Amino acid sequence: MDEGAHYRFPPAAAYPLNRCLKALKSDRAFAERFVRDPRAAAREHGLAEDEARLLDPLDRDALVARGAHPYLVFMAGLRLKMLREPGKMEMF
Amino acid sequence: MLVGAFACAHTPQLLIRPETEDRDLVLRVHAAFARVKRRLEALRPDVLAMVAGDHIEAFFLDAVPALAVYVGTECAGTFGPYQYRMKIHEPLARAVVEQGVERGFDLTYTQNAPLDYAFYVPLHFTMPEPALPIVPLHVNVYLPPQPTPRRCHEWGAALGDILRARPERVVLMASGGMSHFPGTDRYASPEFDYDRELLDTLRAGRGRELARISGEELDKRGNIELRTWITLLGAVGDARADVYCYEPSWHHGNAVVEWPL
Repeated sequence: MDEGAHYRFPPAAAYPLNRCLKALKSDRAFAERFVRDPRAAAREHGLAEDEARLLDPLDRDALVARGAHPYLVFMAGLRLKMLREPGKMEMF
Repeated sequence: MLVGAFACAHTPQLLIRPETEDRDLVLRVHAAFARVKRRLEALRPDVLAMVAGDHIEAFFLDAVPALAVYVGTECAGTFGPYQYRMKIHEPLARAVVEQGVERGFDLTYTQNAPLDYAFYVPLHFTMPEPALPIVPLHVNVYLPPQPTPRRCHEWGAALGDILRARPERVVLMASGGMSHFPGTDRYASPEFDYDRELLDTLRAGRGRELARISGEELDKRGNIELRTWITLLGAVGDARADVYCYEPSWHHGNAVVEWPL
């Protein structure tokens, strides 16, 4: 797969960042802790302060440039929106 | 025996609709899902075997299987406020993994992994009552390097042979697609014309041609999830597709399709 692909091989150095984004997407308790205190929640995954800053608000391009998986960034953002603005969604 | 085959979009906005999603479009896709549900009731399957692309939910970077089978008694998951639990048809799941390995496919199996929304969203709308047991079949679509479309088609052909030889009435369902680019700068510009050409190919019963598409092409066209359809196409051969709907939203080509067998 060439470097111009939309979804690229995730660099190992970005493992903690991707793990944090996965937790935002899939772990409700973690996402709620993140909403209350983003920096403290990011520290749970060992993220440095400069990486943690990119999570709130989510800076997609900067995160992807650091190796974050674009889908994880997308769903982490959607998950946080659902927590912060639950009334704006219609559930079927 | 294999008694039915379907492909369904699993776009999360079909389940949880934000203000930015066209409500009428969502309801039209729901109507197509309702049609699938009626067909499932008519086909009277014993089990739904479902091929879906994991959204980095069941599997993370700790271990990334190309092809996997959930072999357990039940499987649970959550998506937003939704919490769900499905019965697994363990004898069929076990037969698929054992016979798949015997046929040369080095399948991963798991007895404990969350059930991704790619499985849940179509089943939320199409599951007959009382609910059927399922067999979750994973294809890696989001974490490169993904299995090639050719390999997915070969696995689907073997899977079809396994299912046809079983005593249970099995419906095979592929979840995913069509064109969309979540998390990228192409999000608002999917390749709808490409989708329509693919659907014409499927209507003509030429699904095996999709096995020749490269992985690079799928990525370029926003169709990495089409690997689940291509797996199903390996199982259904030259059956002609009946396209229930193709509803392009501002970010996603939503399709619901049956291959009458």
